[in-house]
Amino acid sequence: MSFWLDQALAQAELSNDCLAEHRAKSLEALRATPWPTRKTEAWRYTPLLSLDNSVIDEPNDNIDYPGSPEGVELIELFFVNGKLQSNINVAVEGLTIASLDNLNDEQQAVAKTVCQSAKPSRHLFGMVNDVLAKQGVLISVADGSDIKPIIRLVHLQNGGQSHVRHLIKLGQGAKVSVIEEYRGEQSFVATSFSEFDLGDDAVLNHYRFGLQTGAAKALAGCHFNLANRSQMHSTLVSFGSVLSRLDVDINHAGEHALATQNAIYLLADKELFDLHSNVEHMQPHGTTEENVRGIIGDSAKAVFNGRIHIHRYAQKTLAELNNRNLLLTPKAEINTKPELEIYADDVKCAHGATVAELDNKALYYLRSRGVSEQDARIMLNFGFINELIEQMPAEPLCEWLQGELRTRFGDLRTQLSVEG
Amino acid sequence: MTSKQLLTVKGLQAKVDEKDILKGLDLDVKPGEVHAIMGPNGAGKSTFGYVLSGRDGYEITGGEVVLDGKDITEMDIEERARAGLFLAFQYPVEIPGVSNLEFLKAAVDAHREAQGLEPLSSKDFLKEAREASKKVNLPAEFLKRGVNEGFSGGEKKRNEIMQMLLLKPKLCILDESDSGLDIDALQVVAEGVNSMRDGERSFIVVTHYQRLLDYIKPDYVHVLSDGKIVKSGDASLALELEAQGYSWLAEMREADPEEMHREVSE
Repeated sequence: MSFWLDQALAQAELSNDCLAEHRAKSLEALRATPWPTRKTEAWRYTPLLSLDNSVIDEPNDNIDYPGSPEGVELIELFFVNGKLQSNINVAVEGLTIASLDNLNDEQQAVAKTVCQSAKPSRHLFGMVNDVLAKQGVLISVADGSDIKPIIRLVHLQNGGQSHVRHLIKLGQGAKVSVIEEYRGEQSFVATSFSEFDLGDDAVLNHYRFGLQTGAAKALAGCHFNLANRSQMHSTLVSFGSVLSRLDVDINHAGEHALATQNAIYLLADKELFDLHSNVEHMQPHGTTEENVRGIIGDSAKAVFNGRIHIHRYAQKTLAELNNRNLLLTPKAEINTKPELEIYADDVKCAHGATVAELDNKALYYLRSRGVSEQDARIMLNFGFINELIEQMPAEPLCEWLQGELRTRFGDLRTQLSVEG
Repeated sequence: MTSKQLLTVKGLQAKVDEKDILKGLDLDVKPGEVHAIMGPNGAGKSTFGYVLSGRDGYEITGGEVVLDGKDITEMDIEERARAGLFLAFQYPVEIPGVSNLEFLKAAVDAHREAQGLEPLSSKDFLKEAREASKKVNLPAEFLKRGVNEGFSGGEKKRNEIMQMLLLKPKLCILDESDSGLDIDALQVVAEGVNSMRDGERSFIVVTHYQRLLDYIKPDYVHVLSDGKIVKSGDASLALELEAQGYSWLAEMREADPEEMHREVSE
């Protein structure tokens, strides 16, 4: 067992809110789940020792707010150390945003249907989050509503423990864009889970910028239910930290659904990042396109486990999963495992993983134009990632994120110049 | 030597993958001259360009290369570029995710830094880049795209010439810049080159066919065979080669290797 988990559960107040039933169920399951060891497949490369061994910083309100993307209309909500900072005051037709601790009856009913609908019960920290998360928002988009402003949920933390859950429901034909952004580098624990339930023909643009780094212990999940002809386009960007884990589930619960997911990780120092992604094709004519790219420097370690599971009735599925990694130093590490499990006989699937150094021809080309080797390496590494960033549907967001990543690349600068 | 040389190549030997490719190549280029290097496949034409540019894996095993008074054989790739050497590639590489504009600015700024100049402002650079792209008939939107990403063969070659216009090198080596081009594209490439001829800048045009030389008039034509220049002449040599092909080279070697070398050294 884990000392950290015991402590966390002991401090959990048993409240009687609308999700109490869900909490009770997960608490029971959690107690019956053994704490992962090195032999637990889902945690094989990701030790959890830091949860029990490290001293957690005291949280305080002295926190820097990051800049906002320009040239795009935003609805911004800030969570500091796990608590929503301001009142929610949104007047957009067809859009409801409400704090989980302040839901009316109708909203409670929605929350109950979304909670634990897309997230499978097997995720250890998902269960922890089920039990402990009292903060977060319910976002509900009415049938046929096309929400123009992008909803940006910013989470800043500098200590303590936070447990945040977001529940997002898109009605039939609804369209919305949601950014989840997480930052902080002090020693803290954050469990952050979000569930998205898409109605028929709904379109979701989703961005998750997991920019926690340093001593942060970040345990997170994003889970999606797709209905008939619904579409999701998700971009995940993650830095590493002492412990950083993201579980993603995409469920094709309807026919003709489309999921594209681009994931990026950029690691330095001794950071760790672990992405477990699972796509369930349960219905026919679904399409999934997953591109995962990482750059790993120093003695950092990345873990990628990408599974696509095509059920027996999910004929005519198109699924592609690709993981590419660049290792900057001999000590950098990637553990990658793409998995296809196919039970239908009329599908088109491909998967692959590569671990490589920079393309020498491209490096030569840039240098032959006078660009220094170091700058050329930075340019090529950035380009490797930027290819996915440029596919993001919102161009102003692209530029903003490129700025953020350039800062990160600046930090990686000396390593990028190391001979491959 | 009576007048200044821009490039002096003396007895250049080089190997690739443990195989000797250049076996004593001599070439002198004065400022403002255009030299064409022709020859059969496998003669070492492209290797010559790569060796001059400093590409990894192309190892110089003998001889010297002096550019504008400086021995470049020990210089890094980027130093040679900044010293004024430019190689327009036969097969320019595609680099998705790196925008053409970003790449070009970095290249121009690196050149400027080497000359002790401040980097260009984004605005000034954009203006220059737009003008250059117009000159080679590439729509300005190509500047925003990834380097050579999805460009056709002709567009890639024109992009090479655009880089040449922006970097203003002292010595341009065109490696089969005519291959795979239709007549229109060929003319654009040739016009780009000709517009840069100013009596100072020199060119080495490596080509398999005479066609390009209709548009870029060479002062000298050299035949490269088995890693050496075996015959040199004026522009008329190119026409001769076009008519005869290269089979005479083999006959010449068989007949009298000594004789052949004497002719070269003249």
